[in-house]
Amino acid sequence: MPAKPKAAPSPPLDALARIPGAEPSAKLDAWWWLLVGVIALVVLLAAVRPDPFLRIIVFVRDGIAVTIFTTVSSFALILILGMVGGLGRLSKNPLIFGLSSLYVELIRGIPLMVQLIWWYFAFPSVLQQIGIAFKLPFLMQYRANPIAMAILGLTICYAAYMSEIYRAGIQSIPKGQLEAARSLGMTYAQAMRHVVLPQAVRVILPPVGNEFIALLKDSSLVSVVAVTDLTRRGREFMSTTFIPIETWSMVALLYLVLTLFAARMVAWIERRTKFER
Amino acid sequence: MEPIIQIRDVHKHFGRAVHALRGVSLDIQKGEVVVIIGPSGSGKSTLLRCINRLEEYEQGTIVVDGIPLDTAANINAVRTEVGMVFQQFNLFAHLSVMDNLMLAQRVVRHRDSGEARRVALELLAKVGIPEKAEAFPVQLSGGQQQRVAIARALAMNPKIMLFDEPTSALDPEMIKEVLDVMLALAQEGMTMVVVSHEMGFARAAAHRAIFMDEGSIIEESTPEKLFSTPSHERTQLFLSKVLL
Repeated sequence: MPAKPKAAPSPPLDALARIPGAEPSAKLDAWWWLLVGVIALVVLLAAVRPDPFLRIIVFVRDGIAVTIFTTVSSFALILILGMVGGLGRLSKNPLIFGLSSLYVELIRGIPLMVQLIWWYFAFPSVLQQIGIAFKLPFLMQYRANPIAMAILGLTICYAAYMSEIYRAGIQSIPKGQLEAARSLGMTYAQAMRHVVLPQAVRVILPPVGNEFIALLKDSSLVSVVAVTDLTRRGREFMSTTFIPIETWSMVALLYLVLTLFAARMVAWIERRTKFER
Repeated sequence: MEPIIQIRDVHKHFGRAVHALRGVSLDIQKGEVVVIIGPSGSGKSTLLRCINRLEEYEQGTIVVDGIPLDTAANINAVRTEVGMVFQQFNLFAHLSVMDNLMLAQRVVRHRDSGEARRVALELLAKVGIPEKAEAFPVQLSGGQQQRVAIARALAMNPKIMLFDEPTSALDPEMIKEVLDVMLALAQEGMTMVVVSHEMGFARAAAHRAIFMDEGSIIEESTPEKLFSTPSHERTQLFLSKVLL
């Protein structure tokens, strides 16, 4: 069949983005109102019934900071490690491909909670054993830092999923783009950096945004490994006051504010990168 | 004089079933324009893609401008000197025409942005679309895209240009504008290897025409002779189907 495309077949995404009126801004505005509504509800509760609602907010506010810090720093590492994993999964080198595939398959088969517990309780012991075996004093006395171990655990787990997103995104870019870059004398790394990845980024932004929001919610699991995040602070508050309805409703609302805000940010970035010229 | 491209007994398989190149040998002189024709699956595009090692081959040697295609460094060195134009244009979809022309100049040739821009504008004028410098590939017609692709390859100041069916994806009314650019290039003395069935171009510009079938070179001659009085039966059969 003689295929005779008029234009290059690659960039439907960008083409769509430049059609006036195709931008989804009207819808976006509606979603902003949901965020405003939830924030208004939190403020209203705190104003009308400062005891217990304002007390809860004041009590858990450092937990909110920990949740944001854990999520954002994990995510930065996930973006890097995920790219390494994704490129590994595309490698022609059987060793690199095998190792990255093993990593992805192993990690995706183990529950995140179990992984977090392993990194916090088992991993420091592993380091200590190694320290004892090789007479390395700095390892022998290793004490687990809860937040560091939590960030490590979240990163290792989510980067495995992120690898697959990167892989799919890179594979969605027509092979001719890489060939054209290589035919001009660019190395594989240069072609990836200047030609393939900038296009893949636009493809993977929506799933990456979803991962960020999922990570934000899953970060509540770090409360089981001694990180005083929003969830753990909520539990601490409840254990002194015994008012579960108010406490957990407020914690849920606070998470909702965070996730809705994150979703708006993701949508905004998506729109920006589509129009960026 | 030493041929600028020396292909010696090159074999290439796709998987176990397809023997795409069966011991092809070919010398191309500096300044020569060679057109390769042949039926679909004859290995003509594969051979072309072997010259800058976009396609790997299992056996045989290719030496381009004195550099053997063996190590990664040599392959990149050859690619820097050999421009390639593809059937599907393959312009970088996320970059403007200007950036398409400047990227490899900056990254590979390490030219500063002023010089890269100057070279790019010069070449856009040469291919006849200086007004499209800030356009994006999707905004161009197929013929314009292909001319930009030619300019992008020329921006690297290649010694050799490879054309892989450059007009096959174009609407009929756009073929001429691309062939005109190629014709001008041939007249300037560029070494060109062209996989194409554009007989008009071959007659006007090519020094040599090669007919390939089933992974082998069957016959080679001047375009005039090959098209009008082919000596081999398979060439005759093929031409009788192509020429109306």
